[in-house]
Amino acid sequence: MDFIALGIPLLPLLSALTILAFLRQRKKAAARLSVAALTLAFLLAAFFLGRHLGGSGDVLMQAPGLWGSLWLDPLSLILWTFVSGISLIVHVYSVRYMVEEPGYPRFFAMLDLMTAVILLMVAAGDLITLVVAWFLVGVVLYFLLGHDATRPAAGRYAFWTQITYRVGDLPLWFAALVLIQSYHSVSLPVIFARIGEHPDVQLWGLPVPELCGFLLALAAFARSAQFLLHTWLPYTMDGPTPVSALMHAGIVNAGGFLFNRFAPLFEHAGWALHWAFAVGLVTAVVGSALMLIQNDIKRSLGYSTMGQMGFMVMECGLGAFPLAVFHLIAHGFFKASLFLGSGGVIGEARQRDGVPPDPVYTSVVERRPIKPSRLPWLVAASLTVLVPVIVIGLSHFFVAERLFYEQGVIILLFFGWVTGAQALFAAHKLSQKDPWRLMSGILVSFVIIVVGYTLISHYFGDFLYPDRSESLRLYEVASIQHLSFDLLALLLALIFVGGWMLTFFRESLDWGRRPGGRWYGLYLGIYALLSRELYVADIYQRASQILLHWSRRFNVWLGWC
Amino acid sequence: MLAAITVFAAFLVPLFPLSWVFNRLLDSLPMTTARALAVLALPQLGLLLLQYGVAPWALTDPQRRALVALAIFTALFYAFRALSARDLFIWTRLNLSAGLAVIWIAWAMGTAIPVLQILALTWSVPAALLTLLSGALAARLGGSYLGLMGNLVEPLPRLTASIVLTVLALLATPVFPSFFVLFGTAMQLPLSWILPLLLLLPLWGWSCGRLFQDLLFGAYRGEAVEDLSLLSSLMVFLVLSGLLVLGLYGSGGVL
Repeated sequence: MDFIALGIPLLPLLSALTILAFLRQRKKAAARLSVAALTLAFLLAAFFLGRHLGGSGDVLMQAPGLWGSLWLDPLSLILWTFVSGISLIVHVYSVRYMVEEPGYPRFFAMLDLMTAVILLMVAAGDLITLVVAWFLVGVVLYFLLGHDATRPAAGRYAFWTQITYRVGDLPLWFAALVLIQSYHSVSLPVIFARIGEHPDVQLWGLPVPELCGFLLALAAFARSAQFLLHTWLPYTMDGPTPVSALMHAGIVNAGGFLFNRFAPLFEHAGWALHWAFAVGLVTAVVGSALMLIQNDIKRSLGYSTMGQMGFMVMECGLGAFPLAVFHLIAHGFFKASLFLGSGGVIGEARQRDGVPPDPVYTSVVERRPIKPSRLPWLVAASLTVLVPVIVIGLSHFFVAERLFYEQGVIILLFFGWVTGAQALFAAHKLSQKDPWRLMSGILVSFVIIVVGYTLISHYFGDFLYPDRSESLRLYEVASIQHLSFDLLALLLALIFVGGWMLTFFRESLDWGRRPGGRWYGLYLGIYALLSRELYVADIYQRASQILLHWSRRFNVWLGWC
Repeated sequence: MLAAITVFAAFLVPLFPLSWVFNRLLDSLPMTTARALAVLALPQLGLLLLQYGVAPWALTDPQRRALVALAIFTALFYAFRALSARDLFIWTRLNLSAGLAVIWIAWAMGTAIPVLQILALTWSVPAALLTLLSGALAARLGGSYLGLMGNLVEPLPRLTASIVLTVLALLATPVFPSFFVLFGTAMQLPLSWILPLLLLLPLWGWSCGRLFQDLLFGAYRGEAVEDLSLLSSLMVFLVLSGLLVLGLYGSGGVL
């Protein structure tokens, strides 16, 4: 029975090969075959997930040779269902969206190939299969992003993606080789068992799990567009919209997958987790800041993904591994729908600006003063600050009280509280006829979301990590000294309160906006820095120009021999 | 005498600075077919010579370390130099030199000569194919210099697809055998040597990206030209399929 699972990555692969070999001139047949293969793969993935939920255990499908084994555990089964589901949506969407593009059958073949490679990657049962699939994702993505060969920009940005991925492959290769040499196996379950027995194996004075934790985190950073390795992500918008959707919904989440796949290793790699927390935090802040100043909907979504990926890596750094998987799935679905909708929104905006073409109506609407109608500030402030903390606190208290004793959960609750307060504050600022109605609507939505999120993420965590002690060990290893933790929490609180105050005073006192004002220079400086995306891409470009110059010079000296 | 034979082998299985001679020799051959044959034959001859030279187990530890360091330097140096090459044949032989330098590392770690001969083919065969394809490109466009006219897929779909696939096979893309040779060689090395060797990955990724940028993207403004014949492209496809099977089987993989 288990061998049928092989069909899940094989079906899209066979579809891709069939299209490339026989259906290159038959558009409709290629699209039909592709969608049919993905539908079947999705149904099979859902069936195996259901079977596991029904009580069947993990399965390791050994290949006859050294590599090529598949590991059907909760993580791979959930991701199989998620990836094939998202890919199916993207396929169905592409049937009409791409119909006028040249290379239509090739596009479906590459989509199938990409899906097959991701499905293989998330279920890899040994290090060589993982490295092979990890590497191939970058190669196939390059051709998908560069689908429209008439646009040099598409090729340039596909190249940025490919080179970042290749840089990220290096630490994964190195981690794989260190693990193979230290634990004398390529099989992931065997390596994890041996790490559990001998976590203190040393290399260069460092415990091997700690060293590999750093390397794997670095590989995850490149894939999930963490700060300094993020420049490729916003520019991939030059690829076709369905590819953007698949990439932002699935491929970019590979970092979160890698953390979860190597969770037994990260149980012994506390410093690597702290590093991931710091990098994720910086990425979340930088990504969100850059998102706010974009005037292009797709690039704005790109930076939003960067911020979300930062938050996902931060969750891993806090030890909340299953939450990161839940986050990547939830984010994948909503980001895919936003991307697939963005093309329509842009087209709609180009055709209709939404203003009726009546000069009298226009002048009336534009000149009518808006009468602000808001809740009393004391009521609004109380609701904004207290409601999120009460709702989030109570929902967690009833679901799993023990989690309150984990530092990672406290930090995440803190972020949840701040985000909730921010949402309520933004709702309060909207001028409405009936502010009570608006606020109560927002509050009800907030309660539903928080309770739903808490319950689902809790049961999701239990499914992914049935051994609760494993989850607790991850929280424990991600913890820091109590004093440092208290100071960090205080610092974060001060930053948030400072940020709110800054926002409030900037709006009410008009700081920074007025030319000649005290803060105007600073405001312009920050704006310029952000609009140039912190000059990171410019620095890389300059460095690559210098290297190419030296490559040319060596060739000239040696007569190109 | 043994040392002299080993040094002479380094002319044929390129090792810096003797690799200069290997590249000069390939460049001086007048015909594409002769170049392709030389790409296949010279490394094999070099390995045959090596069989009669110094045995790898006879190397002292400092000698072995020096040889591995020189081989890694050769690989990185030639891959680095290939970044700025835009002529397809020059690009091919520079990257071939980088790949064949890895064979010296495998030799220093004690791999038997018959195995090394097969490993060398994993780079020589795609390089020979690319040499032939660069000749085909030059016959159609007057030269194999890329970047003057983009989007060659439009006038030459079969030739361009053949070049793309062969480039991937040359630059250690899974599941072509060069990928597994690189991985296997790195697995044999002491851990401190692995990281410098792995720098080949980003260099090859960069090199490949620059080549594809010139080859695939942009607008074609030249005259209509005849594409590679169906038979020739089928031959390229067959050879690459053979390499794929070798990669899957030889690596102890799924076959």
